[in-house]
Amino acid sequence: MEKQHAPYLRIKRKFISWTLTALVVFGALLVLMPFLWMLLTSLKRPEEILRVPLTFLPDRFFNLQNYFEIFKRQPFHLYLWNTFLVSGVSTVTSLVFSSMAGYGFAKFNFPAKEFWFFSIICILMVPFQAIVIPLYQWVVEFGLINTYIGLMIPHFISAFGVFLMREAIAGVPNDYIDAARIDGSSEIGIFFRIILPMVKPSLAALAIIKFLWTWNEFFWPLVITNSEEMKVITLGLASFNTMYYIEHNLATAGAVVSVVPIMILYLAFQKWVVKAVVMSGVKG
Amino acid sequence: MGRSERKRGWKQVLLGATPTASQRRIGFAFVLPTIVYFWGVYFYPLLSSIRLSFYEGGMGRPERFIGLKSYEMVFTDPFFWQTVRNTLYFVILSVPMTVALALGVALLLNRIINNRVRDILSATYFMPLVISLVAAALIWGWIYQPIYGLANYILGFFGIRPQKWLSSISQVMPSLALINIWLRIGFDTVIFLAALQSIPERLQEAARIDGARDSQVFRYVTLPLLNNQVIMVLMIELIFAFKVFDQVFVTTEGGPANASRVIMMYLYDFAFKWFKFGEASVVAIFIFTSLLAISVIQWVFLRRAAY
Repeated sequence: MEKQHAPYLRIKRKFISWTLTALVVFGALLVLMPFLWMLLTSLKRPEEILRVPLTFLPDRFFNLQNYFEIFKRQPFHLYLWNTFLVSGVSTVTSLVFSSMAGYGFAKFNFPAKEFWFFSIICILMVPFQAIVIPLYQWVVEFGLINTYIGLMIPHFISAFGVFLMREAIAGVPNDYIDAARIDGSSEIGIFFRIILPMVKPSLAALAIIKFLWTWNEFFWPLVITNSEEMKVITLGLASFNTMYYIEHNLATAGAVVSVVPIMILYLAFQKWVVKAVVMSGVKG
Repeated sequence: MGRSERKRGWKQVLLGATPTASQRRIGFAFVLPTIVYFWGVYFYPLLSSIRLSFYEGGMGRPERFIGLKSYEMVFTDPFFWQTVRNTLYFVILSVPMTVALALGVALLLNRIINNRVRDILSATYFMPLVISLVAAALIWGWIYQPIYGLANYILGFFGIRPQKWLSSISQVMPSLALINIWLRIGFDTVIFLAALQSIPERLQEAARIDGARDSQVFRYVTLPLLNNQVIMVLMIELIFAFKVFDQVFVTTEGGPANASRVIMMYLYDFAFKWFKFGEASVVAIFIFTSLLAISVIQWVFLRRAAY
């Protein structure tokens, strides 16, 4: 009797297994849906999006009218450039200074080292909102409203980066450093030629996460910019909603423009991005 | 040289035990820019926030010490407590659901043997994490549009009447929470999946051989091993949800009838709309101490879980 049940059980187990897999695939499609809807809407004409019942696909797939329109109405190219500049510069400064500090903390001794390091770790616990008001007052006082310096001030060095680079550099054997010293390398030379090449993976992770964060930043630019020329992309996007009547075909086109660079980064370095985002989320 | 390996007393910890003076100078030179930056741009403003909460004026107006008056103003303002309630409501609606769903997704993904398929699926769940909250809010604002939106269209398939979503007092918070679940599920899933993959197969196998059903294996073997990850993820999501601002600011601006006005919007309005820095600083300190308390609770829980 036992034997007769076996095929039935096997089929049943297979059925359950396929159902569960289908379920998780369905969930993934649900997560993907808003992205798809954004893309499809951005290709529709204004009268197309106001249809009841709605039509899924745009009438013409190569209707890029909305994309031209957003660049015509707002200086979207400026927003993109500003965002790119702020994100790029603060990524570079973060890489340099965070890894310098990481090196100092990992391989040197100086008075009160533990205290200084602990103080930087504490930064990870301070929400930006707790410091934004005095920071804003300074920016106003020094006339840095609507300037790149003002936009970058809270982003120049990453506390998470210091933590990350200290961990990575601690793993570099001391023998390499000592050997280079005996060969007469300068300390700066050791840092750039010995240390940095050996911690490339961590540098890459830090670069990705820093760029991503700054690119998506909204609160600080919202507070300290009010001129059209200094807006960043998230502000440009948000301005679609401050009008009385939201033109969703344009808003979604803007969203696509803002998301595309990040999506390229994500699809190209998917594993890295996931790792970097998770690491930074867990540590601070 | 055994710099870090050497056992050190408190004096060395405080003063640093250094082989040479030049070593000390070079090491300090490497960290100095970072220390100056963080003390200047983070710690000093943090202290200034505390100072500001005892003063009124600023921004051209004369500053005047007013003691605890700002605290009194904020903490007796029923409107402030409404924003706290709204925020907590948002946290309760979104956090447990996100974590539970992510755990479910991670368990399902863990069953998939094909590495490529699993990677593609988990990467898909992760996708919303990389886009800006503003872009996410714009997309969802359009999906929730009461007449032309996708959400009501889909509900129509199931014979459900069109809902008002973000423009309804009772539905606005659940709708915002749904956006949050979509945004955050991938993060938690990746953490859970990594933990699940590190659990040796033989543990669950042994339980099964002993006659445990699948549900029992999950309850008594898998779940206890995920304890730390569950606590960690809960706390991260709590902190994230507590600070919610961008999505609300872009979609509803606190409406309708302040039903979605969260604590961060209260801070924003006081600080950057009305330039009342005293009250705003009180709110900032309130947020800071609340989040600090959450971190301490997490730390205690994880300590206890370790033993």
